[in-house]
Amino acid sequence: MMIIVMGFNMRYLDLKRKVRDVRMWAIQGIAEAGSGHPGASFSAAEIMGTLYFRRMKHDPAKPDWDERDYFINSKAHSAPGFYSTLAVAGYFQPEEVKTLRKLGSRLQGHPVRHSERQKDHSVPGVEYSGGSEGIGLSVGIGIALASKLDGKKNRVFVLIGDGESNEGQIWEASMAAGKYKLDNLVAVLDRNRIQQDGFTEDIMPLDPAKDKWAAFNWQVFEVDGHRVEQLVDALNKASQVHDKPVMIVANTVKGNGIRHMANNPQWHGKAPPKRQTEVLLEELESECLIAPSIIAGERENYENKIRKVEREGVDMIHLDVMDGRFVPNTTFFADTIKKLRRSTSLPFDAHLMIEKPLEQVDEYIDARCDVITVHAEACTENEFKEIQDRLIANGISPGIAINPETDVPEWLYGCLHNLDVVIIMSVNPGFAGQKFMPEVLPKMVAVNKKLREHGFKGYIEADGGIDATTLQQVYDAGARIFVAGNAVYGGGDIHGAIIQLRHKAAVALEGKLLNHATQLGIRVDWMKARKHILIPYANELGIEEELHAVK
Amino acid sequence: MLLSSEKKTADMRGAYGDALVELGKDDSRIVCVGGDTTDSLKTKKFGDKYPERMFNVGIAEANLVSVAAGLSIAGKIAFASTYAAFIPGRCVDQIRNTICYPYLNVKLVVSHGGLTVGPDGASHQQIEDIASMRAIPNMRVLLPADAVAVKHLIKIIANTPGPFYMRLARPSNEVIYSDQADAFQIGRGNVLEDGSDATIIACGLMVSRALEAAKALHKKGVSCRVVDMFSIKPIDRDLIAKCARETGAIATAEEHNIIGGLGGAVSEAVCETYPVPVKRVGVRDTFGESARDEEIETLLDNYGLTATEIARAVVDARSRGKK
Repeated sequence: MMIIVMGFNMRYLDLKRKVRDVRMWAIQGIAEAGSGHPGASFSAAEIMGTLYFRRMKHDPAKPDWDERDYFINSKAHSAPGFYSTLAVAGYFQPEEVKTLRKLGSRLQGHPVRHSERQKDHSVPGVEYSGGSEGIGLSVGIGIALASKLDGKKNRVFVLIGDGESNEGQIWEASMAAGKYKLDNLVAVLDRNRIQQDGFTEDIMPLDPAKDKWAAFNWQVFEVDGHRVEQLVDALNKASQVHDKPVMIVANTVKGNGIRHMANNPQWHGKAPPKRQTEVLLEELESECLIAPSIIAGERENYENKIRKVEREGVDMIHLDVMDGRFVPNTTFFADTIKKLRRSTSLPFDAHLMIEKPLEQVDEYIDARCDVITVHAEACTENEFKEIQDRLIANGISPGIAINPETDVPEWLYGCLHNLDVVIIMSVNPGFAGQKFMPEVLPKMVAVNKKLREHGFKGYIEADGGIDATTLQQVYDAGARIFVAGNAVYGGGDIHGAIIQLRHKAAVALEGKLLNHATQLGIRVDWMKARKHILIPYANELGIEEELHAVK
Repeated sequence: MLLSSEKKTADMRGAYGDALVELGKDDSRIVCVGGDTTDSLKTKKFGDKYPERMFNVGIAEANLVSVAAGLSIAGKIAFASTYAAFIPGRCVDQIRNTICYPYLNVKLVVSHGGLTVGPDGASHQQIEDIASMRAIPNMRVLLPADAVAVKHLIKIIANTPGPFYMRLARPSNEVIYSDQADAFQIGRGNVLEDGSDATIIACGLMVSRALEAAKALHKKGVSCRVVDMFSIKPIDRDLIAKCARETGAIATAEEHNIIGGLGGAVSEAVCETYPVPVKRVGVRDTFGESARDEEIETLLDNYGLTATEIARAVVDARSRGKK
């Protein structure tokens, strides 16, 4: 039985991957259908994913379980994303998403409440028939009232859009939820700022959205709606609120995940050409994470260092724990991490370069790291499996690291199911500021290939000497998480350094996608669709003239 | 005995309120959502008795019916009530998409249907509701003739899964039925009076006027059958076909626009089963107007909703029938 009850158990990288899978299924469904709403599906992907994969109490094997939390998708045009979320959560086979919007499909253009009468037009897990805007919040209120009446402990989550907030009924519902003090009701506003005709603030301004909801007697939290850690945090806070409904204003980007669709009103309700699907899938699969390592650079307090990169929108904080025995240097231990934990909601990517990780892993669990990676050289198969089990039980992403001269141990191929990250060191660990060892690149390619062949779905993390000159090489070798130490903290300009890293990652991505498009025989099509995205990279990609000629 | 033997009047809304209280006693799933009209709808009685199961969401009908939908999703039997001008008047979309499409257990019971709303005037005189409600798949539409019918039908719809629309009238009106629980079935019309020369098929307040018309016609030697077609959807096609076949002419009478209401539904059934002349009595595609309570009969006269008009319709239909 797969009942999911959330504490702080985010298992960050697994959640990121599942949301990535949702986007990939959704775009396939839309491309197959030739219509649908990629924009809204993508702006809400993290919101729905965090709810279904982490926060909600539900059971795909028993969709009508009496104690379940309810999800009402009021902005029902995000159907491709919603269906894909349900599928990845286990309600039905993801392949079925490809029947979206077709005659005879269970996946109607807008989701239909599942019942015996509608079993041919709906899938288990859909509680509400949407399609007409502005209604779902009221329905959520009805469910929340009934739950209170029955003394149930479950919760009702309602996803609403900013476009549909034009509807007066949203505000009727807003007043009613405040009146009934529905603290079992959590609404999430997908604030992507685009509706069918254009930008929300041009069509019908919603700002100040936060103040409006607060004025209607809701407890309001604001988050970056693509940051699962912020969503998890807000949802946890929501469960502590009493006598008020909760509104989470999630600032999102419509079409987030595919660069030429992002924040572009044209992509509200349009399908990409089917022949581009493979390239789009590659882009979605290529999501990169940047994780600055705070031991790099000058000695100053770690809180400051974290604050500086948090402002720049990095994805994780990489924490190099060194014990002076496994590696010659000593940095910090779990007690320091525990203190740092209070300073940020950014995920902590702890890399334990310690002698006996099994003996100490509980301390790092307790310090609330989000990813814990131990060294293959420091544990046996059984020890690693034990560590992995403990991490999974606590909702932490397990990882394994290998030194430059070490190969992936054979036993690891039996642990891939619950493995979220493999760090391939490109320096010998122990000190910050070492030079990148290009000889690990062929190993990274080979390891990545073999891991994928054995079903590995996690991330390859490059650690050691990663900077603007080496990032593209490890990217091409398969790495998607980049630990950057000196490259970030080594110079004076952290802002510029991170922009440069992102730029290099983008160049690598655009080059790869363009090659793929070329192989598929759609190079010009792709450049046309992507022109405004490609311009800043044209020089490095050597396509300036060609791009200029594309009309 | 189907018909009441004594002559008295009773209030439909009062009967609704009492029936809800009665239902709520034995079934904790019964809940009610109101929209600032609970005193008028008499659902306040239910709220006084079961305050935790009564939700007054104010003047917000779209929210009202959608909250009722949510309550039903969570297992409740939700009654949603206000004036017919606003349910369905202001929320046909929510009724269609949120209630009917998923076949939710929501009972829309509204009052102040038709012209007899009186002083409030045309804005409140809902004469299009049967047309809009019966056109929505899954919806069932009831228009009871008196307080006795209301009492029994409320219990029936509470115990029949899925959506219903039931329209009550504002004024007290003549009690037609004796108090027989088995007199009402969804999808079955009641033959209140038999006859062989023509049939009057009526609903709501027009049923008593149909009986009056039949009496008048009887004096002129025309034997009129009178049917109370309180179940407009599903409609009793078998009975309509039988009446067409046996009496050869049909008049319909309703407190609704002649377009799309009972007359429309009967005509559709007649055309497709046993075509005979039909004449519709109702509001002739025009808006109503204000009238004080003591002027209501005159108002109905002016808009042709009278026994005289029904009798005239019967004569008209018969004149066009096969000789």
